Amino acid sequence: MTGRVIVITSGKGGVGKTTTSANIGTALAKEGYKVVLIDTDLGLRNLDLLLGLENRIVYTIVDVIEDRCKLKQALVKDKKNPNLSLLAAAQTRDKTAVNADQLKDICEELKKKNDFVLIDCPAGIEQGFQNAVSGASEAIVVTTPEMSAIRDADRIIGLLEAKEEIENYRLLLNRVRPNLIKSNEMMSVDDVVEILSCPLIGIIPEDTGIITSTNKGEPIVNDETALAGQAYRNVAKRVLGEEVPFLDLDEPKGFVAKIKDIFAKLKVKV
Amino acid sequence: MGLFTDFYNTVAKFFRPQDDENGGDSSKSVATNRLKLVLMQDRTNLTPKILEQMRGELIDLLSKYVELDKELLELNFEHEGDQVALMLSIPVIRAKDEEEIEAAINNSKQQEDSSDDADENSDEEFVDVTDESSEQIEKNSDENDSEQDSVDEEFSENTENATQPIKKKSKKTSENIEESEENLQEEVFE
Repeated sequence: MTGRVIVITSGKGGVGKTTTSANIGTALAKEGYKVVLIDTDLGLRNLDLLLGLENRIVYTIVDVIEDRCKLKQALVKDKKNPNLSLLAAAQTRDKTAVNADQLKDICEELKKKNDFVLIDCPAGIEQGFQNAVSGASEAIVVTTPEMSAIRDADRIIGLLEAKEEIENYRLLLNRVRPNLIKSNEMMSVDDVVEILSCPLIGIIPEDTGIITSTNKGEPIVNDETALAGQAYRNVAKRVLGEEVPFLDLDEPKGFVAKIKDIFAKLKVKV
Repeated sequence: MGLFTDFYNTVAKFFRPQDDENGGDSSKSVATNRLKLVLMQDRTNLTPKILEQMRGELIDLLSKYVELDKELLELNFEHEGDQVALMLSIPVIRAKDEEEIEAAINNSKQQEDSSDDADENSDEEFVDVTDESSEQIEKNSDENDSEQDSVDEEFSENTENATQPIKKKSKKTSENIEESEENLQEEVFE
């Protein structure tokens, strides 16, 4: 088996890299694929919290690199889904504890036994970013419809272009607020795609459910009724190569009706 | 000529984004425009003034040959593979006929004659310029050079820096684009 290694990156902090990693990883595992999530944000780890695994971590990626444990021992299995496991970052060390080659080796090892290796990249464009990108052949660039996030995403896209190992990258537009787009107070999905000229892999609406799901340590894709959960499940399907239409969020008329529609459909399914 | 333009503007109005009618000052369009500009600078290291100047000169040059919609003309630097490409979108209302082109060229020639003591050989140059547009670019910017000496001095530092990243990034750019970009920068701003 040779799995795919995908890095989830953004440049700017706080746009939802970790949330995206947790949700795409969980959604892919729910589809029956074996997935490993790697948190490369050394010193500022959070992926464990979003997955609710913070109490189960014994070994971290630095322990693996410094030979204190085997790679297999450091993988923490998800509570619900045995297909999903986490390789946590060390909280007490900084970015210099790992170098690009070491991370590359770990990815090579993991992709032998997994369908997907998802790398949660730290914010910034320094060493941490370079490390995280080194093992990946695909990238998902997370951004929000705000100027600063888009500018940073543009920078990241430029850096990804320069990396030969990265075969393709796609854009995930997070925290979209259809009502603000409608009143011309927020850039629309089309605006952002046009500006960055980067193919789109997902549009995630702003959803207060994200806050409660983080509180509980349970990714929102597990919530069948949440719109953001649906959007992330669609992203996972697109990662798998399925053609799924984007949730039509910024329809100028009848947005409320659309939401009701979506809920109605979901109820039928459940 | 005016009839064409009027007609075009009436039709085009229907297709322009709505916020143009609201004066284009919704916070969204402000953000989009600011962002587009800042990304052009990020991608090329050119200053806004220089970009605006480049846009203005391109419009002047192209207006001699075709009637174009200046408002909708878009100048953008985009990532194309691992290079940066200069993208120009020029909405052409209609092509001018030969007489108009000659008139426009003579007109601009006269303007330059009067505004500064134009080069002695500029007359000859401008007659056969119509055939070879590449020469046209060079010569046109040569002419402008003299006018803009003062501006250029201000920017000379910036431009020296600015030419570097493009060269780096566009290693394998199709030679046309690279050359024309470099031409523009070097010719206009050195």
